[in-house]
Amino acid sequence: MSQRAVDAVFQGLYLFTDLRAILRETAPAHRLDEEQRAAVAKALEKLRKQADILEKELLP
Amino acid sequence: MKCAGDIDTREVEELYINIDPIQAGGRLTPEAHKAVIAFADGYSVCDNCLKPFRLDYINKPPIAQFHRDVAEWLNMDQVRVVPGARRGFQAVASTMVEKGDPVVLTALSHYTEFVSLEQSGGIIHEIPMDAGNRITAENAAAKLDEVTKKFGRAPSLLFVEHVDYQYGNIHEVKEIAKVAHQYDVPVLMNGAYSVGIMPVDGKAFGVDFVVGSGHKSMAAPAPSGVLAANGEYAERVFRTTQVKGDVTGRTFGIKEVEMMGCTLMGAPVVGLMASFPAVKARVEHWDHEVENSNKVVDALLSIEGTTVESEYPRRHTLTRINTLGSFDKVAATHKKKGFFLSSALKKKGVIGVIPGSTRVWKFNTYGLNDMQIDHVARTFVEVAEENGLSVS
Repeated sequence: MSQRAVDAVFQGLYLFTDLRAILRETAPAHRLDEEQRAAVAKALEKLRKQADILEKELLP
Repeated sequence: MKCAGDIDTREVEELYINIDPIQAGGRLTPEAHKAVIAFADGYSVCDNCLKPFRLDYINKPPIAQFHRDVAEWLNMDQVRVVPGARRGFQAVASTMVEKGDPVVLTALSHYTEFVSLEQSGGIIHEIPMDAGNRITAENAAAKLDEVTKKFGRAPSLLFVEHVDYQYGNIHEVKEIAKVAHQYDVPVLMNGAYSVGIMPVDGKAFGVDFVVGSGHKSMAAPAPSGVLAANGEYAERVFRTTQVKGDVTGRTFGIKEVEMMGCTLMGAPVVGLMASFPAVKARVEHWDHEVENSNKVVDALLSIEGTTVESEYPRRHTLTRINTLGSFDKVAATHKKKGFFLSSALKKKGVIGVIPGSTRVWKFNTYGLNDMQIDHVARTFVEVAEENGLSVS
């Protein structure tokens, strides 16, 4: 059992959901203000970390 | 892009501004989307269902607390979650109405209110609208008097809409409840277009039942809703089963008859719960939502030949607009006929107007941010100008 892998999958899905919310609130042009750009950058950074965890846990 | 098999991924909320009249208040919050991801499996909320084995007793996830919180928020004695407002109407009608009973609803009642009363065998009587498309206490009093005289007894139930689905008008619920109670008639308030988007206080309205729709106005997945009741009526509609098997002798604990045991499981109930903090917060900003609604309506009214059929200035975000004298004139000669409007709007990033509609149609601005409101208002004016209509 890999609790870390499972948590990373859910954390990743939640981060994608945050990105989805930004797409919704900026539709239809998707022009992001500074705050939204910072939120996207942070979410992407965290997503990369979740991908790294999954790689380590599932593809050792 | 497909999400599975032949099922397209639904991307309309991400790509467009959606002003569909029935979809606005049911768009999920990010919190609900996350909860749905985690609880999508069928019996997911039942992992920790312990004695007495009923949905509203489950503490993990905190469904029991949610019931208490919603009751407090609506200022009603008891609440149950239900699979859509219609199941709330059905439970109350089944409890209160016997075959042949006179019942009263309104000229703006939803078909599910009619059907729920039909199922119980009620004899339907509608309170007519006034000239402004509103249900008034005066008309309710006249109807109650007429029906009581006709049957020699008062109606067994009255349904009234807080906000109706046709015009988005706000009706005289408090005054109507007061009149109904003079005849000892219990009152159900249909809050499908109010509970979850604007403040609702059941006891201040003086109603006996409040029904809300999760997927219409509480940012929840379908089917979901709430049924709230007060005092003796709560005891009646939420009565527990007394049945016993004649062969097996089985009984069924504290399952509630009208709820058919457990009502709302999995994604619908956790979505409803996850959105609740945001829903409680958003009703406090109702004035701004109305302001935004009026901005878009005013933009439409600036197009010559356009009129609003809902009460105006708007007090709600759902609006019925008449463009027979504007967009419908364009449709008469346009190569796309009536489809030109929805097509032009879509090209500019706005969807939700029924394709082909250029006469009388509805839209809802609920939940759009200020940037999106400006975009929608500007888009209507641009489409008018591009098609040769005068804008003042």
